[in-house]
Amino acid sequence: MNRKPKFSNTIFKVVIIVCVGFVIGILNNTFSRNGIQLIGNWGNKTVSDSLLVPNDYLPDDPEAITLDQALESFKSREAIFIDCRLKEDYDLGHIKGALNLPWEEFEEYFPRLKSILSESKEIIAYCDGSECELSLLLARELAGLGYENVKIFFGGWVEWKNAGLPMEKGS
Amino acid sequence: MEKRRFAHGERVLSCFMKLLKDIFTDKYTAFVFRVVLGMVFVYASLDKITHPQDFSQIIYNYKILPSFLVNIFAITLPWVELICGLFLIGGIFIESSSLLIFVLLFTFMIATSFNVFIRGIDIQCGCFTTSLTAKKQGAELVIRDILFLLMSLQVLLFNRNFATLPGFYQRILYRWLLK
Repeated sequence: MNRKPKFSNTIFKVVIIVCVGFVIGILNNTFSRNGIQLIGNWGNKTVSDSLLVPNDYLPDDPEAITLDQALESFKSREAIFIDCRLKEDYDLGHIKGALNLPWEEFEEYFPRLKSILSESKEIIAYCDGSECELSLLLARELAGLGYENVKIFFGGWVEWKNAGLPMEKGS
Repeated sequence: MEKRRFAHGERVLSCFMKLLKDIFTDKYTAFVFRVVLGMVFVYASLDKITHPQDFSQIIYNYKILPSFLVNIFAITLPWVELICGLFLIGGIFIESSSLLIFVLLFTFMIATSFNVFIRGIDIQCGCFTTSLTAKKQGAELVIRDILFLLMSLQVLLFNRNFATLPGFYQRILYRWLLK
């Protein structure tokens, strides 16, 4: 009972366990309702080469940036992220350290953020995702008010969340 | 007086170390660790088995595997975890299961450390839940992983096949044959 099994025997059983798990996994995935493709289509999910912008984005609008660029700015800690969605959405989750400036209630929120905005080197506006235009409208407004270095992260909350980057909840 | 007290302290310390060593190498400890580790792995695998899509997203976010392997891993890894967990609880192929769990935990530790300390990003662990809004812990994850790693090592080294299903059935069989 107590004799030690040979190491090669142990390795052989490890291989068996892995193979059985592999086969069951593949079989289950084939017959399960929420099965996924065996080889996922991850290639075109990297945002750096496919920057999507809304149709009414014009060439002289504030610069649009990709997720990678947004992440660079996030890490440098010099940029300030502006969440243009409503307060309810912002409270449910937003980019870590982002400030809420709902486009719909711009007049009410703007005076509170004025001093912070004028001190920051880089302002990045974002909203839900590439179909959301709030960030474009807000960035245009800020650029019109004379703020320099305003950028738009069209990937927005959706891309940030899917990439599993730092988030926080509440106000 | 000073000397005696020092010697006494040393003796207490050495006794304590011996006790720790005895506990760590004990077959009952191995049994407890085995069952706990098995339950942890079974629990961890269930949510991943039911949500392969979310789990593949989490694996992709680790940015370690080449993208063509991501889905295969998301599909098969939870099943390997489940089998290992069940085998550990039942006491079947204990050496192999604990070795495999040791290797898995070691890989998880490298993957998490790579993301937390090198990429500097607190990503979704995907350890027990596939929910994308779950709390993140960063370095805490690595420490937890090391604890599990030690447990699996203990089981691997000091397991004496105490209270296993095969042993149980063997005993019943013997009893039946000897009647």
